[in-house]
Amino acid sequence: MTRRTSRFAFRAALRAGAMTFSLVAAVGSSAGAQWSTTYEQFYLEAKHNWTFRDSYQAADRLFNAFDYGHAILYEKLWTRPGAPTSVLEEEQYNFLTKKVLVRPPRLPLEEAAIEVRYAQLAPEAKQMFDWAHILHRQIYDVLADERLSQDAKDREVQRLIAYYKSRPELAFSSKPKSMELMQEQPYSLAFREKYPKFNGLIWGYHWLQVGLYEPLMVGKTSSERQTGVRATVARFWQMLDDPPRTLPYQMPMTAAVAPMFTDRYTEAAIIFDNLHSMHDVISDILANPDVPRERKRAEIMRAARLYRDDTSYIMPVAAWRTMAQEMGIENMGGPAVGFLPALPTPTVTRGAVMEHDDQTGKMVGMKTGQMTGAMNHAGMAGMGAGRDSMATMPGMAGMDHSKMSMDSSMMASMTAMHMRMLADSGMRRHMLADTALRRLMREMLPMMPAEHRASLEQMLRDTMSTPARATRRPAPARRAATKPAAKAPAQTAPKADPHAGHAMPPATPAKPPAKPATRTPPPATDPHAGMKMPPKPAPSR
Amino acid sequence: MLNSIRAALPVVLFVVGASHPYTAIAQTDYYNTDTGRPLQIEDAYAVERRAFEIQAAPLRLERARSGVYNWGIEPELAFGILPRTQVEVGFPLAYIDAGVSGRTYGLAGIEMSVLHNLNVETSIPALAIVASTLLPAGGLGPDDAHASLKGIATKTFSWMRFHVNAEYTFGSLADQLPGEADASSGVAEQSRWMGGIAVDRTFPLRSMLVGGEVYARDPLREDEELEWNTGVGIRYQLTPRFNIDGGVGGRLTGDDRGWYATFGSAYAFGLPWSGR
Repeated sequence: MTRRTSRFAFRAALRAGAMTFSLVAAVGSSAGAQWSTTYEQFYLEAKHNWTFRDSYQAADRLFNAFDYGHAILYEKLWTRPGAPTSVLEEEQYNFLTKKVLVRPPRLPLEEAAIEVRYAQLAPEAKQMFDWAHILHRQIYDVLADERLSQDAKDREVQRLIAYYKSRPELAFSSKPKSMELMQEQPYSLAFREKYPKFNGLIWGYHWLQVGLYEPLMVGKTSSERQTGVRATVARFWQMLDDPPRTLPYQMPMTAAVAPMFTDRYTEAAIIFDNLHSMHDVISDILANPDVPRERKRAEIMRAARLYRDDTSYIMPVAAWRTMAQEMGIENMGGPAVGFLPALPTPTVTRGAVMEHDDQTGKMVGMKTGQMTGAMNHAGMAGMGAGRDSMATMPGMAGMDHSKMSMDSSMMASMTAMHMRMLADSGMRRHMLADTALRRLMREMLPMMPAEHRASLEQMLRDTMSTPARATRRPAPARRAATKPAAKAPAQTAPKADPHAGHAMPPATPAKPPAKPATRTPPPATDPHAGMKMPPKPAPSR
Repeated sequence: MLNSIRAALPVVLFVVGASHPYTAIAQTDYYNTDTGRPLQIEDAYAVERRAFEIQAAPLRLERARSGVYNWGIEPELAFGILPRTQVEVGFPLAYIDAGVSGRTYGLAGIEMSVLHNLNVETSIPALAIVASTLLPAGGLGPDDAHASLKGIATKTFSWMRFHVNAEYTFGSLADQLPGEADASSGVAEQSRWMGGIAVDRTFPLRSMLVGGEVYARDPLREDEELEWNTGVGIRYQLTPRFNIDGGVGGRLTGDDRGWYATFGSAYAFGLPWSGR
């Protein structure tokens, strides 16, 4: 090739490159949603930078490994939506727990190199996590810095929080958000139901991430802090002994796991709960096949907005603290300091969804899952409203109920047993509160002798007309304005009511009208439009 | 050769000393590549807002087919002045050992540049534009300032990342550079056009990046051949603030065919006050 020819070819190639560059830029600008201008910002420079890394190397490295776990989770959920469950529950889980956690990376990871496609899907959400993780780590540095007095630590943490909040486009709200935002959206629970082990691992991560503040706060000396951090890290390893049984059953709440930290740095604790909550939300959005792929980004962006604003789904700080207690520390992996050798026994089924009064934080019911009996139910007004115990029962393999028959003596014995049980008003109320038991009872009525049937129907009517000893407080007007129109009929049509025409009372009181002004205006259109959501049970409040 | 080594010793000592982390020099973050560190083709991202990156000792040794050795270091300071925008200033120093033809060394101009990243990568590649100028300063610098404009695109796949750079330099200066031999061998080489592609693979658990590149440059001097260059390199994060890089490559065509080796280090720190 002559010099002239090669120059000509070279220039032509450059011109083509420049034209392509311009074209891509133009297309990008017009693509709107895909043109993202979020950016990274350096952490606040201070003398305490990287102190935790220097002083608590093992714990710090675990956090690096956690970054990998979060990143690979989103990447797999997004890039391999139809992959077998075992890809995450076995392959990735084993890789994480047997390799990455055992030999964790020595440096914080570049997550964009792990969650490549997810980072391209929602770079803004990734930046929100990165920015909050920086706050996480910088607070460890402050608490680990032995040169700082308690007053100085307090000042530094406040300075870090102020720095964090200086980017409102990324900062999570420092107002507590109700669990409804995390657990009661149309896409909610998909991840925990499909990937219980990985979900438990993520909650284990979050337990340590907030829990590790506690030994740093509780320890009076450097030696105590070192010992405490080692013990808390060892506790995390204990959680991996027999997954998912030994992993947390509920999202660890900072107020429960790290109460001393929460008392002193409440705003930071709230930010971290919102951060961890949104982690779960994104997992649900990505894992839920009813959210079409073309809607995933929009749903993530919507959730991110709701977690940043200070108006939607908020609850009082006192209620948030109460809610954390009512959820049960034993369901979150237990306390981070002062724990017994054995892991606590959870009091709910794995991934259970409790309902809480947003103004008090008190638990008012169970939406999904149930109590396992290790808890005092007496104080739980309305407990069990609308739950279906059959939904959580394992199938009875090999049994064909249609072929089962009963002789008359057996039937008589069964009827007598039922009548004796139902003579107890508490038991009647309990059965009525369980939709499965109610359905079974209704199905049995025609098979009963007439006199028993009449008597039983009377008892049921009496029970239903008598208010429960402790009833749920009607929920105050809340978030009607910001609540997604997801509860629109097409998406939230209740399941076919097996009790239609039976004049059953509503399981829970209807929601009062929304309180205006305290919430942001309602979205003009259904924020979940386009999502193929399965019909959901009618909201219980 | 012995003379060359002896002559280069001060430069090497300076480079080694300057690359020590406590001297706070160099560019940071192994994932965010920068021109010459170690590859010529860079990515489309600026340093983080509020971050300083100091490149203390980007050393480059070239050996031309004629036996001429060129040593160069280019200390640089970059600052993330605005979102997705960095300003950078560099001081290229060159030491040219042409054997019996003599040796020369000095400042080869002052480089100033602004890189603005237009977008982060989504389904659209990340794009950036760079405006730079080489100011006339030092014995090996140009007589006049020369401005350049560069476009950068970065596209990431799960298995690999690609970068495309294309640059154009305005003005002509061929005979304005001091000395014909020096003109094409200093660290501040000027080209009318430069274009190329780089590919890199990240090993995130090891905080390491390995890459290679091919690029062509058309020297400003009309009588010089078009040059095709290739190189490979590695970037490695040593600590959260400090990374190192190294690379080797060759000039495959042109008047000055030969090979090169480079080594660099970078140190990052931020602004100590909060601001907004």
